[in-house]
Amino acid sequence: MAFIHRHRWLTPYLLLLPGLAWLVLFFVVPLGFLGHQSLEVQNPIDLSYTFKWAWHNYSDAITTFNPQLVRSLEYAAIATALALVVSYPLAYWIAFRGGRWKNVLLIIIVGPFFVTYLIRTLAWETILSDQGIVVRTLQHVGILGPDGRLLATSVAVVAGITYNFLPFMALPLYVSLEQIDGRLLEAAEDLYASRAVAFLRVTLPLSVPGVVAGTLLTFIPAAGDFINAQLLGTPQQYMIGNVINSRFNELQDYPAAAAISFVLMAAILGLVAIYARALGTEKLTG
Amino acid sequence: MSVAAETLAVRARPGAALRAWTFARRHLLTLYALLAFGYLLLPVAVVVLFSFNHPRGRFNYTWEGFTWSNWTNWDAVPGLKPALQTSLEVAAIASIAATVLGTLIALALVRYRFRGRAATNVLIFLPMSSPEIVLGASLLTLFLSLNVALGFWTIVIAHVMFCISYVVVTVKARLIGFDRHLEEAAMDLGANEWVTFVRVTLPLIAPAILAALLLSFALSIDDFVITNFNAGQTVTFPLFVWGAARAAVPPQINVVGSAIFAIAIAVMLANVLVQMRRSRAR
Amino acid sequence: MSTLTREEFLRRAAAGGAALAVPGALAAVARGAAPDPKKLRGKTLVFSNWPLYIDVKNHRHPSLDQFTKRYGVKVKYIEDINDNSSFFGKIQAQLRRGQSIGRDIIVMTDNSPYPALLVQNRWVEKLDKSVLPNLKNLQPGLAHPSWDPNRDYSLPWQSGMTGIGYNAKLTKPITSVDQLFTDKRITGKVTLLNEMADSIGLTMLSNGDDPGKVDDASFNRALAKIQKAVKSGQIRQFTGNDYAGLMAKGDVWAAFVWSGDMVQLHADNKNLTFLLPKTGGMIWTDNMLIPKHGDAYLASVYMNYVYDPKVAAEIEDSVNYICPVKGADKVLLASDPAVARNTLIFPTDAMRRRLHQFDPKALFNPDYKTKWQKLLGA
Repeated sequence: MAFIHRHRWLTPYLLLLPGLAWLVLFFVVPLGFLGHQSLEVQNPIDLSYTFKWAWHNYSDAITTFNPQLVRSLEYAAIATALALVVSYPLAYWIAFRGGRWKNVLLIIIVGPFFVTYLIRTLAWETILSDQGIVVRTLQHVGILGPDGRLLATSVAVVAGITYNFLPFMALPLYVSLEQIDGRLLEAAEDLYASRAVAFLRVTLPLSVPGVVAGTLLTFIPAAGDFINAQLLGTPQQYMIGNVINSRFNELQDYPAAAAISFVLMAAILGLVAIYARALGTEKLTG
Repeated sequence: MSVAAETLAVRARPGAALRAWTFARRHLLTLYALLAFGYLLLPVAVVVLFSFNHPRGRFNYTWEGFTWSNWTNWDAVPGLKPALQTSLEVAAIASIAATVLGTLIALALVRYRFRGRAATNVLIFLPMSSPEIVLGASLLTLFLSLNVALGFWTIVIAHVMFCISYVVVTVKARLIGFDRHLEEAAMDLGANEWVTFVRVTLPLIAPAILAALLLSFALSIDDFVITNFNAGQTVTFPLFVWGAARAAVPPQINVVGSAIFAIAIAVMLANVLVQMRRSRAR
Repeated sequence: MSTLTREEFLRRAAAGGAALAVPGALAAVARGAAPDPKKLRGKTLVFSNWPLYIDVKNHRHPSLDQFTKRYGVKVKYIEDINDNSSFFGKIQAQLRRGQSIGRDIIVMTDNSPYPALLVQNRWVEKLDKSVLPNLKNLQPGLAHPSWDPNRDYSLPWQSGMTGIGYNAKLTKPITSVDQLFTDKRITGKVTLLNEMADSIGLTMLSNGDDPGKVDDASFNRALAKIQKAVKSGQIRQFTGNDYAGLMAKGDVWAAFVWSGDMVQLHADNKNLTFLLPKTGGMIWTDNMLIPKHGDAYLASVYMNYVYDPKVAAEIEDSVNYICPVKGADKVLLASDPAVARNTLIFPTDAMRRRLHQFDPKALFNPDYKTKWQKLLGA
């Protein structure tokens, strides 16, 4: 203890050491290995790999899988926007009207997250089944044609992604909305602002950190998702995640998979950088 | 509606339709919230419902009849119980480790100024913002290159890795809003730093630590993608579900899913109700 | 039927009969080759297999329990093979480094390149034929595959047919592959198999090409046909054995299917029907292999046990694929005649003539693999 007293400046570094070491060892270093692997070439007979500065893995990845890459970013963006639209009023309601029961209501948002991801998605397969109530009602009402279906379409895939990442959008929104000081709104109303104007000019701007956090926490994992596309979609809906997954697990073509992974990360980072530039970086990492 | 207009409307004794419309408008948000909750809980309801299903064939997609037998014989499906056990063990170890490591990092980030603070923030943020498939795949590459046998411990390592960031964010949020005056008061009363930390700080951030622990546990027990890459031939519950979904989906899977859900809700409710009572007592 | 006649022995010897590993097998046949209890004491057999691929009764496997009783060897039975490529992906790293994968027996399909790869790279152990007298019960048609001509490393577990399956309640009978691809009444309700050998094979047959000898032209013709059906929205998805759930749910009305699945599904839903197209179907075989560092002696004792027609009959009663063991159908005639007479489990000679194996060389062609994966959208 005395040692630490004398070398006070060490304290933060000692606190950081175990956790950061873990992250460096098991997050940063593996990315290095992945990078190395992305430049290898696979021997088709005994499936060994040789390092060959194979930059063509990257160009192949971009040219061959361009459709899936673009599609992933599209689906992720749509799902994020939908999640925002669905979650914002909900988070607002809990933050401002929840009263004493706020935390209980939050449990309802987080709760479904505790049913295993795959089981939830299988449940959607049951709910959206061709012979199920939902599809039959939509056919009856005319939204779907008589042969229409929901499963194995992009609608189902995007809906699945939206649903599964909803808590990631709702919780940050809630946190930032909840922190808004009620007195600011009272002041606005005292100044003859209508409720709508108070919302637009006070609440909304103050909730922007939550919106930013939620958007990032939703968009980024959604772009790499493959389970929704696999269970709820057809090959026309397959995302870049499906490509990476099949390269790793079906074809054992690790170099190609590694290259595609980096292309995906680059695409995501690029979009995030544009987003951050528009908003200011402090909001991102808090 | 502004206050004046509302008063006018009331005084004029409006018709039922207008009253209904006013009611709807005022409670529009509530109605919406209820719909949203319904939407969130719909698949859960289906999962729970079908855990009581008595399917004739291999699949649990159409309702055939009610039975308790899936719940009483929940471990009758071979492989389910060991998979669940593995998941629980992994989650327990990983969540505790991640919470310890993450809390230490959060303390350092909030309480101290040091070189590399910004870089650390970025490093914490990155795993949360990388697609799971990249996290899983890169770890696999590491393990393969270093000749590490894939199995239980590689899964634990992976889970600790992706949970740390979430722990840091959760605990940090509480630490930032923390009232330092309480600590200063304790030290004024003669407590040294260590005692202050243990008797004042720790109890006050305990709810956040607990929340972080629960969050890590939840993330770990639900993880499929990263685990799929790093499990070798060990089977966790999500991996078991994935395999089962291809061939036959026994209702027992719904049983376990519902049980995990129910227990989680119960724990969270208990936590919240205890906190509510505590704040009322103050 | 199961005794070795002099003629058969001479014929095999004349054919360069390393197939019999003459002295050992003959002596074993004569002796009855009881396994050495010392080598079995206290051991556990670790057996990885596909799901729903062994007899099951009340969540137990009677044939395995009987094996334990007879030989005192415990069996750890793990149903963790869902897919040839993903299972191989899980084990290949360890195999390449010469490490054990903790299994004594694994089961892989011959319409994937993996059995050949495993044998070629010597990542499997040789069978111990001194305890395998029942090897003689192997169906002759399966005795000399090109990738393991003397059955030194493998033994079939089950065979199966790939053909058309449809739900008779939801659609008129689908009698040909062409109809599956073009009938407007089933648009969007059709799935194909994601195994290249199965889907390309059946399509090649419908084009009049021979899937046993694949060349670029015939491959591309089949690929183009499937591509057209995918683009037109006729094909809903490519599946592994998860088509079964989709058919049971009614989301899929017709598909490329595996015969054993349809027999099992038919038991629960009488409307689900299997059809071998006139143009022909595919036949494939799942093979038991002993991964490197697996216990070859133990595994061989088990394989011998399973090649006893009585045991094979018991397994066949549940599994309902095509039995590789001669004599099992005669045993079943007595106990479960319905199964014995089911031509999906014991196909007639006429049916066998319409069944084709996929060209093994084509399985290794990286160009074909890439084109196929591209079609699958990944």
